[in-house]
Amino acid sequence: MTSISRRTLLAAGAGAGLLTACGSNTGRGGGGDGGGSGPKLSQWYHQYGETGTEQAVQRYAAAYKKAHVSVQWRPGNYDQQTAAALLTGSGPDVFEVNGPTLDQIQGGQVVDLTELLDGVRDDFNPAVLTPKTYDGKIWGIPQVIDMQLLYYRKSLLKDAGVEPPTTLDALVDAARKLTSSKVKGLFLGNDGGAGVLGGTPLYGAGLSLVTEDGKVGFDDPAAARTLGKLHRLYADKSLLLGAPTDWSDPSALLQGLTAMQWSGLWALPQVQKELGDDFGVLPFPKDGSAGRPSVPVGAYGAAVSARSRHPEAAKEYVKWLWVERTDHQEDFALSYGFHIPARISLAEKAAKLKSGPAADAVRLSTEHGYAQPLLWTPAGQSAYQDALSRIIKSGASADRELRAVVRKVSAELDRVKKKS
Amino acid sequence: MDDALVRAGRALRLVLLIALALLFLIPFYLLVRNGLSSEQDITSPEWTFLPGELRWENVRELFDDPSVPFARTLLNSALIAVATTLGTLLLASLAGYGLARIPYRHANKVFYGILGTLLVPAAVTFVPSFVLVSSLGWISTLRGLIVPTLFSAFACFVFRQYFLGFPRELEDAAQVDGLGHWRTYWLVVVPNARPVFAAVGTIVFLGAWNSFLWPLVIGQDQSAWTVQVALSSFTTSQVIRLHELFVAAAVSILPLLLVFLCFQRWIVAGVERSGID
Amino acid sequence: MSRRNALWFWVFVGPFALGLALFTYVPLVWSVALSFFDAHNTVTPTHFVGLDNYTAMLKDDAFVDSLKTFLVFTAFIVPATYVFSLSLALMVNRLKRARAFFRSVFFLPAACSYVVAALIWKMSLFNGVRFGLANTVLGWFGGDPVAWLSTTDPPWYWLVIVTVRLWLQAGFYMILFLAGLQRIDPVLYEAAAVDGARPGWTVLRHITLPQLRATSVAVVLLLVINAFQAFDEFYNLLSDARGYPPYARPPLVYLYYTALGQGQNLGLGSAGAVILALVIAVVTVGQARWLKLGRTDADG
Repeated sequence: MTSISRRTLLAAGAGAGLLTACGSNTGRGGGGDGGGSGPKLSQWYHQYGETGTEQAVQRYAAAYKKAHVSVQWRPGNYDQQTAAALLTGSGPDVFEVNGPTLDQIQGGQVVDLTELLDGVRDDFNPAVLTPKTYDGKIWGIPQVIDMQLLYYRKSLLKDAGVEPPTTLDALVDAARKLTSSKVKGLFLGNDGGAGVLGGTPLYGAGLSLVTEDGKVGFDDPAAARTLGKLHRLYADKSLLLGAPTDWSDPSALLQGLTAMQWSGLWALPQVQKELGDDFGVLPFPKDGSAGRPSVPVGAYGAAVSARSRHPEAAKEYVKWLWVERTDHQEDFALSYGFHIPARISLAEKAAKLKSGPAADAVRLSTEHGYAQPLLWTPAGQSAYQDALSRIIKSGASADRELRAVVRKVSAELDRVKKKS
Repeated sequence: MDDALVRAGRALRLVLLIALALLFLIPFYLLVRNGLSSEQDITSPEWTFLPGELRWENVRELFDDPSVPFARTLLNSALIAVATTLGTLLLASLAGYGLARIPYRHANKVFYGILGTLLVPAAVTFVPSFVLVSSLGWISTLRGLIVPTLFSAFACFVFRQYFLGFPRELEDAAQVDGLGHWRTYWLVVVPNARPVFAAVGTIVFLGAWNSFLWPLVIGQDQSAWTVQVALSSFTTSQVIRLHELFVAAAVSILPLLLVFLCFQRWIVAGVERSGID
Repeated sequence: MSRRNALWFWVFVGPFALGLALFTYVPLVWSVALSFFDAHNTVTPTHFVGLDNYTAMLKDDAFVDSLKTFLVFTAFIVPATYVFSLSLALMVNRLKRARAFFRSVFFLPAACSYVVAALIWKMSLFNGVRFGLANTVLGWFGGDPVAWLSTTDPPWYWLVIVTVRLWLQAGFYMILFLAGLQRIDPVLYEAAAVDGARPGWTVLRHITLPQLRATSVAVVLLLVINAFQAFDEFYNLLSDARGYPPYARPPLVYLYYTALGQGQNLGLGSAGAVILALVIAVVTVGQARWLKLGRTDADG
């Protein structure tokens, strides 16, 4: 939905492979139910697109002996469906979620999972574990890490005499130079970037969405200056808009509609397959003297519904799948799509992540990765996204727009703090 | 001279109509064109009116797709749409008749209570409805997909208006023959009101076939998916293979077009004699 | 007698009324109740907040903006659809041959779901790149591709929205008008011809339109309700995985994101929905009054 969150990020990314998945049926066909005895558990995933993912999660579930796990694969708007289902007793026991959100935690909709990570907590990437931690307790077990980054076609940049941009000004400049009547310079999604970029430019300016002590992180003139530059991209007509596929799908880059595209790590295998060596990856460039490059990272977490009839069995299953069975975790991260395992020890071992652009990407995520803070609520997020859209597309005054957002986000922060 | 003017006007009207008809058909044409194209033909920068090669195998691939049981979803949709239509017709026509014909002190109040719900957007009551149906244990059941949608205020309203204009003589004759309300309704009124049943039935059928949000949230098991949910499983994930999406869309509206063409005459007749207006 | 009638009344109306009460009124009352509570992620809230949700909603610029946008949209789309479908009906009605054909063609889109229509419009007809049909046609005349749904200046997205809506709906209303036209007594036209009224505008104004008044009232009411409750085609055309742009955003879409998404502020969403329902009620009732007043004037 409106959130910049990992869930939508993955949901979108999933598309890349979805229809390819339709063509082949690998793994054990269709069997939705696990083979175990014991209580019945229902587990929800959003629809991943990568070939074989659904069969893989079915296989994991079937291998679990202590409960009878049935997997549900949900198409459509996953947030909305889980949100509605969590209000009732007929929802999932175990479900993946981009979060859980602060309201879900405060509303008592999910179960405390802290004990599941006893002894291995340090092995989980802190960048993605932190947003799943509230009140010192852990509410979701990270499954895999995803990230977004800037892809560019080396040959097109070379032809136009443009260096890979390392500052926002250089990016604006490069996008303009790369734009011709046939090819656009940059693709940030069909909405011009308001949706996918989110807080990334703010982190690029050395700011943040919410500070560590829970204050608005962009109440600063630098924020307006940086966001204002994004309008330049739009006004220069350097942005690709209205492509049939969105930013999450590398098609626009591969079909030659754009020279640079912001997309997800999941697109990398496909880009590599089609473009060979003719591409590189970059972080979102820094802006201003306090700036630093930034890349968004995040992780879907496995959570247990508080309305589950078998919360203990559900917790045990989550521990088995996402903590103990490192073989499944590695398989899930790297055999179908392209994700970074959430456990540091696994990520370090993975051969696929050790060379080429994949290694660059992993390096970017550790050096420049930021995750959306837990305190960044959907209401604040949607106000920010509206403002960003107006700044980019309508050239609205970034100063004035941001002042309104700061007010709104402060009110939200007050609200959620009051509840704790 | 007037004659020439009239004739010129008529010709102009015909040209305009043909042009508009072509415009109205373009989307259907695009649906079929893209559905039978290869991916390259759809995204080719050079526009072609027909793809280089008509790929009928797109249709077969759609039904063979292991990730979505497309034939099953069509069947579910048909089942749900038929059941919803029959149920709605029964409930709404009875209610419409009662409101129009049986004298009762509070009939008007009841009528406005029904009519008023037309003003309330369905989205308003969505979450409580969902919780309610879920607490009945109807998630992923045909019951849950069908029963809550059977009470269409719109259909009831149309029936009432129609029966208000229904010739009273027929019923009076029936009453003289000693038939009560119940038997009058079944033996005299229903057989003479077929057009309005056809008209309302078609509209309800279309709505049931095309509805999306409710089946998506209630039909949680893949075995309970409708064809619209199956379509969304192609669209929500940033489709790459446009042709599969288009061929699925084309197949999904085919049954409707058939129903529609068959019943169109009835709809017009039904509307004409009913009080939809 | 009257007691027996009452019994029969409920035999006929009872099942329907009961279902409506359970599946519409219960959720409705529940929603209204929620609107007075702080209901984040719950449908059984405990924290009563009085009118806070209502004031918050009315102070929310995004919501008020969407209401305003849709007042304007309604003011445009209602007359546009009205005129367009009436014109279709008038033209089709005059045909001597091929009438069923044209009627079918214009009516056929009503069988399309909004999802399918939005798909065609967004991905094929009005996509923003060179292989969209609209851009192909532009290209023949030497124009540059236009990003129809993403361009805010000029706001081309309205063209996309209005055309898809007209395509989907005009046929249905055309049928209503055709039925109305069938019921006009031909004697009226003959009398007008005798009086020397030229066919065309005069006849339309003095005979056809007044005779169609009943149909018009129904069509306008349906159109108004439809315009304010717009959701499907907007959602399918303009939303993406990350949300919905801050323009052309119907109130229902905004509420949907507030209350049904990850942001599950059900109290606030319900308050907004109640406000919207009230706006619809006021506009609809106002419209009905105004149109009926028009009738007495004309008849008198």
